[in-house]
Amino acid sequence: MSDRTRAAFTTTDAWTLVSPRLIVARRITLSLAYVLVAAGVVALFLIPAVPRWVAIGAAVVAVVVFGWLWWLIGRRVRSFGYCERGDDLLVTSGIMFRRMVIVPYGRMQLVDVKAGPIDRWLGVTTVQLHTAAATTDAKIPGLVPADAADLRDRLAQRGEQRTAGL
Amino acid sequence: MAGQQPPSNVGDDLGLGFALPGGVPTDAQGRRKVHPISPVVHAVTAIPIGIIIVIAFGSGGLFAGDARVLAMAAVALVLVPFVVGAAAYLSWRKLSYWFDADGDFRVDSGVITRKERRLQLSRLQSVDVAQPLFARLFSLAEVSVEVAGQQGSKVSLRFLTLDEARSLRNEILARSAGLRHDTAEAPETPIATVAPRDLAVSLLMRSVTFFLLLVTVVILVVTVMASGWGGLGLALVTGGVPILIVVTEFITFFNFTVSQSPDGLRLRFGLAKTQSRTVPPGRVQAIEFVEPLLWRKRGWMRVRVNIAGMGAADSSGNREETLLIPVATREVAHGIVERVLPGLDLAGMEWHPAPDRARRRSVIQWQRLAYAWDDSVFVARRGRVTRHVMVIPHARAQSVRFTQGPWERPLGLGSVHVDTTPGPVKVSALHLDAGVAQELVRAESDRAERARAQDRSIRWAAPDTTNEA
Repeated sequence: MSDRTRAAFTTTDAWTLVSPRLIVARRITLSLAYVLVAAGVVALFLIPAVPRWVAIGAAVVAVVVFGWLWWLIGRRVRSFGYCERGDDLLVTSGIMFRRMVIVPYGRMQLVDVKAGPIDRWLGVTTVQLHTAAATTDAKIPGLVPADAADLRDRLAQRGEQRTAGL
Repeated sequence: MAGQQPPSNVGDDLGLGFALPGGVPTDAQGRRKVHPISPVVHAVTAIPIGIIIVIAFGSGGLFAGDARVLAMAAVALVLVPFVVGAAAYLSWRKLSYWFDADGDFRVDSGVITRKERRLQLSRLQSVDVAQPLFARLFSLAEVSVEVAGQQGSKVSLRFLTLDEARSLRNEILARSAGLRHDTAEAPETPIATVAPRDLAVSLLMRSVTFFLLLVTVVILVVTVMASGWGGLGLALVTGGVPILIVVTEFITFFNFTVSQSPDGLRLRFGLAKTQSRTVPPGRVQAIEFVEPLLWRKRGWMRVRVNIAGMGAADSSGNREETLLIPVATREVAHGIVERVLPGLDLAGMEWHPAPDRARRRSVIQWQRLAYAWDDSVFVARRGRVTRHVMVIPHARAQSVRFTQGPWERPLGLGSVHVDTTPGPVKVSALHLDAGVAQELVRAESDRAERARAQDRSIRWAAPDTTNEA
């Protein structure tokens, strides 16, 4: 994107971006999902009752959407970033719907670290923060597992020092 | 029946003349138990379920007088309450509650899976005393205790006699406030009552309800003039749904009474099921004033509130709208809010409106969009037909969020959300100038940080702390 968008959020903070390996992981997931779509398109070609132009149209749409999603994944992954400040953590993400959330360490109730099978294979992990508000939604995908574990430990430690009542 | 209740009575008992023996039953270890008659109440509660099952599955044969169906119906009517009652008896035997040496409230329960719950009373959110319809027949009540920050932490003790329920609530409240647990029941002074007529009128005049009822009338008139029946189905939906909502809310919030006690605001309401709910000061997370168009001439408003752990989705996924008052005049509403958020001065604040180009994002409400803040709270407002003013103390902010949707981006707009615990209130300053919004996010986050550092309202009644207000 990203320089233009990022500029809006950067000002004085040092943002950490996530690993580009997340792009690979997400594109693999997309491709796997597209196996089903491809099967559907092939079926349209094989069923005699379906006019040929409908099948061709479906194939074109499927290819265009695939290309668009492929491209969007790259932009979306590059839009993720986080920044650890003295008292809080900043997390930013999004292309279509941009967001930046500031989560005070003292408000963190739980830090989740999770990775699906493809993520594990490629060595990327998601760190997610939870506060008492369901709307906080601070998720940092695409971290190298060691970094993720370090980040979790740092966050948990700072959270403990600053825990505030509700 | 309005205003006839003695002040410390939860609801009016339907009074079948049962005088249940008082005293707190205890088990071998001296732990308390709910009233032994409780399984019977559960069984009685199940009778309507039995009736529904019979009607659903056997209505045809029932009216035809089919002997086999009648026999099965009789069995179902006996069996369902019996099974429910037997299960309730088993869980009654396994249920006990007590205060442990650390002052935590402990509840052990579970027949097959043992559940040992420990509620940290320093994190208490609420203690409710409610009287479901069938419990009222026996002069019994249900006590629900909720603490913050634990999923599924709500504990309901079914059932205690009304006096025991009240004294347990007082004991829990006193312990949570850091007072000695034998402190006498807090005296209370009534502040406001909603007359049934005002409640009914106000519910009918809410914007969406009124609009749908108007549409229904139009559909009915057109249908009659066209002398056809085609519109009736549609009218049933557009008229039926709002009427159902009005009736439900009327029953839920009937006889809504707000009183002040040293434990906090005490709210009482309900027609079939009467509820009593205590809102400790300092536990209020966010507040919203709602003014539908048709209420404004009368100066009416509704006050919604977020209280952590309260009004969260229950097991069936229904989210209750937690209110401080369903309808009140501006003076009364502000008087109630003054008791939970002292010093709130909306009129004296400097409002920062959204820029004019926000009209291209929100055609109707753009002129009302604005935010403001003072030393203790952040305020946002929105809505033109129904006005909303959302208030959150800086110290209660969970996180602060900037968002920019695809419609806002080309216009250079952005929104700021101050996240609060789950509840009816969402605090959002919508469609501000993007640059202003970015600065606001950081500024509000800093204000929240400072306010948190000074916040003393966790054990608000303990002698060694002072409420900052």
